[in-house]
Amino acid sequence: MQRSSRLALLHYWVAFATFLPAVLLGAWQMLMRSPLPAPLDDSAAYYASVTLHGTAMAYVVTTFFTMGFGYAVAATSLGRPIRGVTAAWIGYAICLLGTVMAVVTILAGQASVLYTFYPPLLASGWYYLGAFLLIAGSMVWVVLMILNMAAWKRDNPGVPVPLPMFAITATAILWAWAAAGVLLELVCILLPRAFGGSELIDAALGRTLFSVTLHAIVYFWLMPAYIAFYTLVPRAAGGRLYSDTMGRLTFIMFLVFSLPVGLHHLFMDPEHGSGFKFLQSSLTFLVVLPTLLTVFSISASLEIAGRVRGGRGLLGWIPALPWDEPMVLAVGLSLVMLGLGGFGGLINMSFAMNSMIHNTSWVTAHFHLIFGGAVVIMYFAIAYEMWPRITAKPLRSKRLARIQLWSWFWGMLITTIPWHIAGLMGQPRRVANFDYSDPLMARMGPLVIISVIGGLVLLGSAILLIVVLVRSHFGAAERVEPLGYAIAVNPPVRVAPALNGFGLWTAIVFVLMILTYGYPIGQFFILKSHSVPAVEITMPDAGGAP
Amino acid sequence: MAGGEGQSKPDNPWPSIGWGTMGVVFMISFLIGFFVLGGVQQNGPTLGTWAAFCRAVGLSADSQPAGGPQPSPRTPTRIAWTQPTLARIASGNAQHGAFVALTCAGCHGKHGVSASDLFPTLAGMNSAVIYKQLDDFRAGKRVSAVMGAIASALTDQDTADVAAYFARQPDGLLPVAGEGVPESGRSLRQRTPSIRLAFAGDPERGIPPCAACHGPGAQKLGAPPLRGQHVAYIERQLGSFAQGIRQNDINEQMRVIAHELTPDEMHALAVYYGAADHTK
Repeated sequence: MQRSSRLALLHYWVAFATFLPAVLLGAWQMLMRSPLPAPLDDSAAYYASVTLHGTAMAYVVTTFFTMGFGYAVAATSLGRPIRGVTAAWIGYAICLLGTVMAVVTILAGQASVLYTFYPPLLASGWYYLGAFLLIAGSMVWVVLMILNMAAWKRDNPGVPVPLPMFAITATAILWAWAAAGVLLELVCILLPRAFGGSELIDAALGRTLFSVTLHAIVYFWLMPAYIAFYTLVPRAAGGRLYSDTMGRLTFIMFLVFSLPVGLHHLFMDPEHGSGFKFLQSSLTFLVVLPTLLTVFSISASLEIAGRVRGGRGLLGWIPALPWDEPMVLAVGLSLVMLGLGGFGGLINMSFAMNSMIHNTSWVTAHFHLIFGGAVVIMYFAIAYEMWPRITAKPLRSKRLARIQLWSWFWGMLITTIPWHIAGLMGQPRRVANFDYSDPLMARMGPLVIISVIGGLVLLGSAILLIVVLVRSHFGAAERVEPLGYAIAVNPPVRVAPALNGFGLWTAIVFVLMILTYGYPIGQFFILKSHSVPAVEITMPDAGGAP
Repeated sequence: MAGGEGQSKPDNPWPSIGWGTMGVVFMISFLIGFFVLGGVQQNGPTLGTWAAFCRAVGLSADSQPAGGPQPSPRTPTRIAWTQPTLARIASGNAQHGAFVALTCAGCHGKHGVSASDLFPTLAGMNSAVIYKQLDDFRAGKRVSAVMGAIASALTDQDTADVAAYFARQPDGLLPVAGEGVPESGRSLRQRTPSIRLAFAGDPERGIPPCAACHGPGAQKLGAPPLRGQHVAYIERQLGSFAQGIRQNDINEQMRVIAHELTPDEMHALAVYYGAADHTK
């Protein structure tokens, strides 16, 4: 167990050590694109910074956090050490090497292509190689999660897999499917071109392959938060999980509905027909099912806890909940942000409404509210929950942790609400400089300035997070209760095989992927070629600092 | 996945639930996306089943080259400002031109100063402008029964000669100068709409300043000087450009600009440019 804990802790360290500088970059970017004066006012630096912020937040923080969370969950929920610890350390080393390689290349100004790559933009090959190693290294984790679950099932025939383990394995399978797109894009398109193996670059095929990743990766980020919703929150609130089956169904639905939907990121791309765009848009809407199911069952679980604690009446259970627990507070704040962001998301995924806000600040605001808000605040709560149990050093101050969560919540709202409005006004995303003297842009100026204030609050909150964790780390050791998971009202005794494994669901995903992506990807090989000259940003006069 | 087969079937309904739900959802989305929405066109009739499907897949019939013969594109004029054309215009002989111009005097006045606002004043007009307009009349690019017939009777050399003759006549069109010209850099804030349009244009409507081609900002090749021209004549030409009756502006610039102008603005501009007294 000790070795599994150490594994989780080192993954968390990389995640949070990357997190703070990435937030700092984000705050500077807000300032840079605002009417206020910014230090280092240089657009080349801005694009390098956006790339670094995106790469750090989307690949490094999330992958390391989820891997660490997965190892911790596997060890604690199965109640036995992880099998394949050596392989896990090798995977960790590969991911770390890839991270360093990518970060150094971006800092050298040789990779300002943003984390979505989007050919024909072309960065230095070392950036792509770094990203490849990071993502490919995480496949070791995927295999270990699946193997650990399979081994446990073999050793415990007929016993339901514990929900946390079931959920983290769903996350691993989801990530394997999701990563397939970007890995194929890197291996077949970007790396050969970057290292001089080919002359042209098939931009459209590259974008299509990335779209396979682009939506499912979001659910990969989201899954630890949902696992916490189902397995940690009810216990922290002092109650029980309303339904184990609902939890299983939720994770299964996330696996199925997050994959055949990525074309909704390419609504404006001309190389795909409207039929496939509509089909995938329509499948995207199904994600409301697991989301609403979760909102229902988490509310029900919290109601159980509130009533156990003496809450009476229709809504009396809400004030009765232990809001001073970081985990309970975080879930409340997270659901508010999830609700606001979710409604914005419905507009993004609608084939027609999307055109109003496509590529505007609205989109950036949306995913900051959902990922940066609803999901990351749960990462904080998970860290506050797990850190003491791994290090045997309890949180020094729960009050400081609550202040951190509240400030993150308000910072995110202050940042993203004006950002949404500026997007509706037509402010494009991923642009370094705006001419705020232009009458069209002038009315967005005050909104952008409010966003900057939110960004500074977020930076303060991120510093506070590190302070809370480091202070506790150097505190006195105490006996801490080991990590436990919520028990369902009706603990599962016998579970249908389909809800205890992923064979059926993987087969359904496979068929759906063939039906929804077979032609959109296949057409490039039989009908169309979109090979174009690459736009190399590695040239000294194009990308680097002047 | 295949468990529970030894027992009664309803014990494991998940495969049928999974495949069934996804199948139904997929089929409904597929039918709507490929056959219903694929056939709807904004400004045309709904497409047939096969055409709708092809369009939804991304293979639309309208992306193929059209099969039937295409009408040849219409060009606004035969004149391009090439070196040979400019050399030809420069070779105009004003003395011979005076002889040719005897035909013109009936309408355009003695020495090209027209007394009637039905006919433009030619005296002082740029020779390239006169040459181009005569060629446009001859080629039918600018439509006028009278001028078409007269221009057809002229040889190319006659055209260059008569252009050279009128360009040298005094007392006709004048350079723009003096009180009407605004201070540089302040023209967008000019109160008078005609002066604002003439010197700053209207960026919101995509109207460039008149002065950029017709002077005094610059005198572009092919753009006539306007100061001293008949007010009614200028207004009539703006109206013709706006309605597409006159189509011989090489880059369609006058049609685009005139289309954006209101009748009041056309009148105000004509008055501004034509205000000089040229009938003395």
